[in-house]
Amino acid sequence: MSCEQVRLQIGADPGRSAPELEQHLQECEFCRQFRAEMRILDAKIRRVLDQPPVSAGMPRFTARWRPWALAASVLLAMVAVLGMWLLRPSDTLAREVVAHVQEEPESWLARQQVDAQSIDEALRGAGVKLGITSDRITYAQSCWFRGHYVPHLVVQTAQGPVTVMILRNQHVSARRAFQEQGMSGVIVPASQGSIAVLTQGGGANIDAVTAQLQQDVRWLPDAH
Amino acid sequence: MRNSQPESPVSSIGERLSGADPRASITQLFESMRPDLLRFAHWLARDRSLAEDIVQESLLRAWRSRDALKDQGAARAWLLTIVRREHARLYERKRLELVSLDEALESQAPAKAADPESDLFTLRNAIMRLPIEYREPLLLQVIGGFSTEEIARELALSSTAVLTRLFRARNKLRTFCGMSPVPDVSTSEAAP
Repeated sequence: MSCEQVRLQIGADPGRSAPELEQHLQECEFCRQFRAEMRILDAKIRRVLDQPPVSAGMPRFTARWRPWALAASVLLAMVAVLGMWLLRPSDTLAREVVAHVQEEPESWLARQQVDAQSIDEALRGAGVKLGITSDRITYAQSCWFRGHYVPHLVVQTAQGPVTVMILRNQHVSARRAFQEQGMSGVIVPASQGSIAVLTQGGGANIDAVTAQLQQDVRWLPDAH
Repeated sequence: MRNSQPESPVSSIGERLSGADPRASITQLFESMRPDLLRFAHWLARDRSLAEDIVQESLLRAWRSRDALKDQGAARAWLLTIVRREHARLYERKRLELVSLDEALESQAPAKAADPESDLFTLRNAIMRLPIEYREPLLLQVIGGFSTEEIARELALSSTAVLTRLFRARNKLRTFCGMSPVPDVSTSEAAP
């Protein structure tokens, strides 16, 4: 077993034990240390999940409060509509893209090239294909975003990694640049949705990556 | 249903049953599982009131299809599956990820000062913040006791995809808890 396979097995189930796994651990200090840490973490996870998430201090709605809650929700809905009018949709979209990328910090760390099949599988759920096979893609996942699975890729450039999200169901009217939470990027319209490209710190040439993707993305007709 | 009265469907049905009715035992069985179901639903939905509604609706569904439960020993897994699907239905319909998580977490703030085990507090918040695609398999594994293959069947994913999501869930929790994340694994998330 490779270190990566062992990490996957341990991360998925720290309590797991198998002869092949144990043999690797005898020879690999790093994986042994990883398992020790993950077992401690897992014991804490089990302890936490053994209780409901909020034990005290959480306001709890009872049936007699529900009419008031309903009235409040109608009022909130009106405020939300006003808010949506004030906040342009693409700004909100950029914020959600950045929030999603921040939730997957490990994506920036990947350095190993992702094979073509994995890239295809990440793209397939969104009904997208790439016209080229890039040896610079080091992260390719199909992620749940705004009610749809969307491809989330990381492309290595000479100036650093660039994240790409192909947003089939999110339409923008024009190119919009944004800077949020230390990330900068653009969302550009595409024939069947939009493409978000972003980087940390703004070092990488995202315009070049964006232009390349606009050429290479193929939108399949029968995606959901 | 979200706005139904919070009475127990199992209890109310049970009240109509005579003690000798064989259905009373399944009523009792379902009722005994309620705390576990509520805890599971609460972690999924991250909202106590919503979790109660989900469990209420799930127990109604379970009661209506109780004949499908052939082995009472499998009742817990069966009921947890119904709860998960009920949550997924609500989630799809109403984008429940929009439940105000910050408000829920802020409401726990007073507990932090009183809780000497602040790392558990951090971990609790971190699990609450996990995206649903990672939180769901983790809850099925830890609370439900489901195997990788059972989770894969339930979520219509490959076993490799489930392993990857479980790995990523714990790797994210490492990060939230101040430990350095290990490099991601390069596996695909293909459906079976």
